[in-house]
Amino acid sequence: MQCRELEVFFEEEGLAPLSAAARQHLSECHACKHFFEDVTGIVALAHQLPAELDPPEHIWISIRNELVREGTIRGLSGDRVPWWQSFAELFRNRSLATAAVAMVMIMVAFLLGSQPRDQMRQGQQAQEDPYASTVTALRQQEHDLANMQLASTGENSAVDASLRQNLEQVNEFIADCERRVREEPSDELAREYLTNAYQQKAQLLSAMMDRGGSLN
Amino acid sequence: MSEADAIRLAQAGDAAAFEFLYRLHGRRVYALCLRMVGNPSDAEDLMQEAFLQLFRKIGTFRGESAFSTWLHRMTVNVVLMRLRKKTLPVASLEETTEPDEETGGPRKDIGAPDLKLTGAVDRVNLERSIEKLPPGYRTVFVLHDVQGYEHNEIADIMGCSVGNSKSQLHKARTRLRDLLQEEVREQARNERQIAKTQTGQTG
Repeated sequence: MQCRELEVFFEEEGLAPLSAAARQHLSECHACKHFFEDVTGIVALAHQLPAELDPPEHIWISIRNELVREGTIRGLSGDRVPWWQSFAELFRNRSLATAAVAMVMIMVAFLLGSQPRDQMRQGQQAQEDPYASTVTALRQQEHDLANMQLASTGENSAVDASLRQNLEQVNEFIADCERRVREEPSDELAREYLTNAYQQKAQLLSAMMDRGGSLN
Repeated sequence: MSEADAIRLAQAGDAAAFEFLYRLHGRRVYALCLRMVGNPSDAEDLMQEAFLQLFRKIGTFRGESAFSTWLHRMTVNVVLMRLRKKTLPVASLEETTEPDEETGGPRKDIGAPDLKLTGAVDRVNLERSIEKLPPGYRTVFVLHDVQGYEHNEIADIMGCSVGNSKSQLHKARTRLRDLLQEEVREQARNERQIAKTQTGQTG
């Protein structure tokens, strides 16, 4: 077997199993032997690369929202999934996060209750509007994002458009929940949805900031 | 839920079925997109495009091929279309020879003296070199050697013959070897330069 014939063998049969003629040639030809060892090593290393990687969660959210908008996704009744219900389902898997936030809010309420009298007024204001600092932080983040996007030289992609649309929907949802909480302060479900919506908005803004940073 | 049930329910528009199929196949699709384009931003765009196409056309899936093959075919088409728009010239899947850079004649890949790679290459080098492969070679190499598809599956995904898939894989591996050798030589040159500089400074 000559070098060229060995090449044809590798092209047609791969690296294993080797024929007797191929083995014979490899024992005699250093260059072909090096080639075989190098390529075998490359393939072995390639096998170690992960065949699966975790995509960012916002991709599924974007796909789902687009399919809902098109009417490709339907509820069990055959009707389109209502906008409110799609957000409720988004939060379905966040029960642990919700419980953690609820625990933090209980602790905050406890700490406020044990503060000295002279801090009670501030504490009272915080209790009346426990979301004030969250709203301020999100507003600042959105402002920073808007500035980043104004300065951006990168192309707008389908994912960016979807993220912006998601952000609009989350903002509308937050506005609905805030109105409901004002009207019915004792509505715990509305408070829970509002807390989760703030979390969702924070994650979206973070993803959008990351994309804006990488594109620039 | 089984995949077959999820496909049937997704064809009827069921939201949970769509998500099931996404979760079942999304990680492989994302890995393929990322290795093909080399950056997360483009990979996310392509993944979204591929799944949207898939879900919009799911009503046409008849089970003649495996669902994952159908999905990967769509993904590869989406990726290659994007790469063809962005880069030129692109090695087509039907290209059978690669010109030698010095002589312009057919490249002599075997039997020529070269640098032994064993021990000098790590996963980072390999990932970087995979990104430098022409798209056709890159697709076959990633599908076969990274994701573990067989040639008959790759032929189905890429719309080529089994023989063509084997030929492209061999060329991809050979080209990768060349790229890695260049990288190893470059690293050795840099190290020699650094050593010279340090000797000059201390001498």
